[in-house]
Amino acid sequence: MKTALRYIAASIALLAALAPVYWLITISLKREVDQFAYPPQWIGFAATLEHYRDAFSNASFGTYFGNSVLLAALSTLAALAAGVPAAYGLSRFEWARSWDLKIGDWILSTRMLPPIVTIVPLFLMLRQAHLLNSLIGLAIVYTGFNLPFVVWMMRGFFDEVPREVEEAAMLDGETRGGALLRIVLPLVKPGLAATAVFCLVVAWNEFLFALILTQTDSAMTLPVGIASRVTQYEIKWGAMSAAGVVAMLPVLVFASAAQKYLVRGLSLGAVKG
Amino acid sequence: MNTRVTSEKPRHSWRRLPQGFWWTLPSIVVLIALSIYPMIYSVRLAFGDLGNFTRLISDRTFGIATVQTIVLTAVALAAEFVLGLALALLVDSLSRAKSIFRAGLLVPMLLPPVVAAVAWRLIYNPQFGVLNGTLRQLGVNTSALTWTNGHNSALLSVIVVDIWEWTPFLFLLLSAGLQAIPPDPIEAARIDGAGPWRLFRDVTLPLLKPTILLALLLRAMDLVRIFDQIFILTQGGPGTATETVSLYIYRTAFRFSNFGYAAAMSFVLLAATMLFSRGLMRVMRAR
Repeated sequence: MKTALRYIAASIALLAALAPVYWLITISLKREVDQFAYPPQWIGFAATLEHYRDAFSNASFGTYFGNSVLLAALSTLAALAAGVPAAYGLSRFEWARSWDLKIGDWILSTRMLPPIVTIVPLFLMLRQAHLLNSLIGLAIVYTGFNLPFVVWMMRGFFDEVPREVEEAAMLDGETRGGALLRIVLPLVKPGLAATAVFCLVVAWNEFLFALILTQTDSAMTLPVGIASRVTQYEIKWGAMSAAGVVAMLPVLVFASAAQKYLVRGLSLGAVKG
Repeated sequence: MNTRVTSEKPRHSWRRLPQGFWWTLPSIVVLIALSIYPMIYSVRLAFGDLGNFTRLISDRTFGIATVQTIVLTAVALAAEFVLGLALALLVDSLSRAKSIFRAGLLVPMLLPPVVAAVAWRLIYNPQFGVLNGTLRQLGVNTSALTWTNGHNSALLSVIVVDIWEWTPFLFLLLSAGLQAIPPDPIEAARIDGAGPWRLFRDVTLPLLKPTILLALLLRAMDLVRIFDQIFILTQGGPGTATETVSLYIYRTAFRFSNFGYAAAMSFVLLAATMLFSRGLMRVMRAR
């Protein structure tokens, strides 16, 4: 009896978590006449894909989607390229280890800054550099966003690899860089993948910086594109919901792939997952 | 990756530099360019004209935004913590289908915040939203239920969305914390005849404390800067009913192009965030 109550309570929570998402999906699939029908239609409506066609062929959501993909990929690669060597350095070199806490604090505190504190100067800097409304400008900003996180996460993963592993390779004539690339990185591959997934998701979901730094149709990201439609006078709910569904799918797929590392990533490695 | 420098003997002029310096250089450059330099820039903007700060004191909208940010943070944080802990304990006690519940309950927090907010606009709309539609089906008179459009209900409606979206975060971290607790102390207390409530209060809760502290801290820092959901749901309205500090800074800088004043406000926000986290840490340590 008590067990049954527990399952009922957990099921209600699950329902509450998923119902809004489900409703969004149904709106994206309903014909316009059914979208806001009374009583609300949860099931058994006539499904159509016209909103998806509308959103991605006519309403330039296709461009936004491409921008978001490019942006996420670029900024993730850049953050990994700069952050992985730094994490390795922090994990391996004596001077860096003695500085470890300070650097770690520094890295974390840059992440804790409310984004709105740095956005005004970043906006003015990018304006001077003529990088407003450009994917490159936004990619640079996201790289800065994700870099502390990459350093922090990867340092933890490197710490778990014993030094002897690459020292043996270096005795065999490998350079340190070669040892990192060929010996150590393959060992931390799952961690590297999880770190990359987190960077991708952050860049994919980010809204505030994208809103301020990209205002033209050709440079907008998917969240900004969706937002720009919501604040219009007449809202095309179907197309917008369709774009929303498309925006959330990659995140859900990626997150479930990195589920094992979710806790570690979200608590910046402070709690072991 | 700089393999050249580390593979050779360092040249004379570089000898003073520690061995791993080159490995960290790219990161240091990026961090200086994208966080240190903007911070200095921001200080110059804000403190270049001290009138920015005196103006803050008499700015009524800023006062309202501050109070509302504090209320929103406190209420949402408390609700998310209680619900998150309850859910973590509940799911932890299930014997089957644990992973299904866990994965499903995490969905809201993974969505792009903009998409989550769009979903809630579809729910809250007083005329055609599914919330009022369902209530009407149940025989409730919904003509007074305006949710995000109502002066008195807007802030609470926004808080509900945040609770929906971010309780999963506390649930996730607290679940992990619960799983990390060794079974022995709980077993020992049970043998000593402790009931479930005493077990929770005297054994589980103290062991969970570091996790609770961390989760509350991370969540509080995000709540103080809340922007995305409110931007989509209400844009700070109706009137100033859901105005928050982040939103007001955004408008000041990017609608009214008053960058100095916006920078000054962002420093107040930064100071408040730091004070709040300190305070939270002290409260948690004292318990």
